[in-house]
Amino acid sequence: MRRRPGISGLQTAAAARDQYRLLGENVAKIRTDLMKEQLSTFRSQLEEFARKHKNDIRKNPAFRSQFHEMCAKVGVDPLASNKGFWAELLGIGDFYYELGVQIVEICLATRSHNGGLINLQELCSLLRQRRKAARDSISEDDCLRAISKLKVLGSGFEVISVGKKKLVRSVPTELNKDHNEILELAQAQGFVTVEEVEKRLGWSPGRATDALEVLLKEGLAMIDDGHRDGKHRYWFPCVASISAAIEADMIKA
Amino acid sequence: MQKVGEFKLPHFFNYPPYFTLQPVRDTREKQVQLWKELILDYCKHHKIFVIGLEEEFPLFSNPTIDRSLRHEAKEVFLSALVSEGRAEWLEKGHKKCLILWHRIPDWADYILQFVKDNGLEDSVTTVEEIRSGVESRGTELAGIDRVVLMRALKLLEQKGKATIFKGTSTDDEGIKFSA
Repeated sequence: MRRRPGISGLQTAAAARDQYRLLGENVAKIRTDLMKEQLSTFRSQLEEFARKHKNDIRKNPAFRSQFHEMCAKVGVDPLASNKGFWAELLGIGDFYYELGVQIVEICLATRSHNGGLINLQELCSLLRQRRKAARDSISEDDCLRAISKLKVLGSGFEVISVGKKKLVRSVPTELNKDHNEILELAQAQGFVTVEEVEKRLGWSPGRATDALEVLLKEGLAMIDDGHRDGKHRYWFPCVASISAAIEADMIKA
Repeated sequence: MQKVGEFKLPHFFNYPPYFTLQPVRDTREKQVQLWKELILDYCKHHKIFVIGLEEEFPLFSNPTIDRSLRHEAKEVFLSALVSEGRAEWLEKGHKKCLILWHRIPDWADYILQFVKDNGLEDSVTTVEEIRSGVESRGTELAGIDRVVLMRALKLLEQKGKATIFKGTSTDDEGIKFSA
């Protein structure tokens, strides 16, 4: 016989709903607690790890970069703030802050020579020369991290990839695809000629000349008309290895 | 790193475009700045007082990279020195340039110090003695260019610190430094 709706039926249904809700809340609470506990365990483990390997993190650039990776995976940014546990423990915020300031100084000191574009490798080696006194070694990864922190200043510090090399740009010059291709081509010898650009990239003479003139005007290229063959060479201090030495001279000066 | 004598050439000396006058203003300014410093340092090191633009000058060409400065570039670099009082054209044609790695007033001060060190106050000496005498040996005054020396001495005379007078022979002048 079919049950008809009645007071007691409604009451039973309401009671059951309450029970379910209670149970559900309990389960959720247990889960959250468990998660919280796990997270705090993990955090304390991470802290313990950091504490234990403090010196490695400070001194060994490869270790440092792996530690950063690990932190990023669990959503901890040791560089996010200069206060708090991480900064106190590792002093890592100050480290990158200092690095950032030095990078800015090097970029400014070499700007008149390279037009505000510098090879990441060279930047690193200049940075190392500068920090000779400090015993900690630094890697390209550290440079990149410090540069990424500079972005918040909105000063237009940016890392661009040209061919296999990474270049650090400290001026707001917009480089288009043509310019990038020329820079890539120049990496072989440190310079290009109009003819070479036309031949290797299959461009029209006008396109090559235009792009080279822009690079010249931006101070990224220097012209050289002294070769015996009479062809003008466009040299790029930001890709030529010799420029590292020139820049070292400048920073000393 | 190449050396001319014991002189250490800067790295830019081996970078070919620095031998071409740069058309872009900012780049050229830097280029001129580097060359100015190099010319002064080089001349000071080798005690060179006069650069002839039409003569061979080791600094103006680099055989290693097969580049040399054109006349126009030399003139631009030297003119930049002239405008700062660190050089002077010796004639209108800009063919010879006097390099003042010490400015004239600095030379004058140097001479005064030299006079004091050697107790030459109130005694008479000759221009030639200052240039090649025993006392000046090992100082920067040894072999100083006559034009430069005379200019510095005239400045001292104007300040009342020295008196120049013609000697009996025409080619040498006497100087009396006041105490």
